[in-house]
Amino acid sequence: MSAEEHDDLRRRDHANAWDASGLIVSGIAVWGGVGWLVSEWLDNTIFVMLGLLVGMGAALYLVWVRYGKS
Amino acid sequence: MIAAESPEFHSPGPADFEFPPIFGEGTFFTKPMLVVVLGTIAVGAFFYFAARRATVVPGKLQFAAESFYGFVRNQIAMDAIGREGSKYVPYLVTLFGFLVALNISGIIPILQLPATSKIGIPLGLAAISWIIFNYVGIRRQGFGGYFKNMMFPPGVPKALYPLLAPLEFLSTVVFRPATLTLRLTFNMFAGHLVLLLTILGGEYLITEYQGVVGYAAGSVSLLFSIVLTFFEGFIQILQAYVFTLLTAIYIGGALTHEH
Repeated sequence: MSAEEHDDLRRRDHANAWDASGLIVSGIAVWGGVGWLVSEWLDNTIFVMLGLLVGMGAALYLVWVRYGKS
Repeated sequence: MIAAESPEFHSPGPADFEFPPIFGEGTFFTKPMLVVVLGTIAVGAFFYFAARRATVVPGKLQFAAESFYGFVRNQIAMDAIGREGSKYVPYLVTLFGFLVALNISGIIPILQLPATSKIGIPLGLAAISWIIFNYVGIRRQGFGGYFKNMMFPPGVPKALYPLLAPLEFLSTVVFRPATLTLRLTFNMFAGHLVLLLTILGGEYLITEYQGVVGYAAGSVSLLFSIVLTFFEGFIQILQAYVFTLLTAIYIGGALTHEH
């Protein structure tokens, strides 16, 4: 990696913080939404909770993969 | 006037964002549209007159325009996109200028309405940004490559792809434009409501409620509204910056995918 490329990455890092929050919101919304649909279908509430937790976990993992390793 | 006869105070609400047509019933031109037109003219005139007689040693107006341009170029485009950023500076400068004008109209006397508190305006701008970053990504990585890199980032165990791919897809295609729109709209909406409440509430307390309590609380409310007006100005510029910065980040992300 050239010095210029490295500089690009470093400066982009702090800007990425803004995007990470959106990723977490979408994780909760997507899998929480799926969990809610399953719960409606099976007539219980456990899957909403599961979906929300899985979504949050998946989103946090993605944030870590995208921005945490460097 | 005594307190018992005073009309009831109606707290400001969403109804304060509905405007009748300016030129009477049956026409379509409302106050938010007027703010948009005036804002467009103001931004256009600012850059036109700043650039018309550009000199090597800039005058005040040219210096202001150059600082504005330089800020967007160095702090937004170069920061978020990198060396390729200069290509997108014209759009980002226009976007930032337009947003600052339409946000700051909320604290300009007489206008006193942030046009961006009407959801259609942020939505339209978010749609333009959405088209640009997706187009840029598809052109750079190919249609299949763009979505493949988006949904299947390298460095993730294959078993997790079913969990992460829909999340990545929806976060980029749906939640990015949605959060851009809602963040700006409701920041402006809420800020305008708070200003309305402190100013109209203070006015009501002093002119209608009266008495020691009315005068004291009304004065505090009006003084507080002045502080809040400056605070709103700060929020309005900050939100214009955030919208522009995120657009730049999305373009930057579409141009490069992690290796």
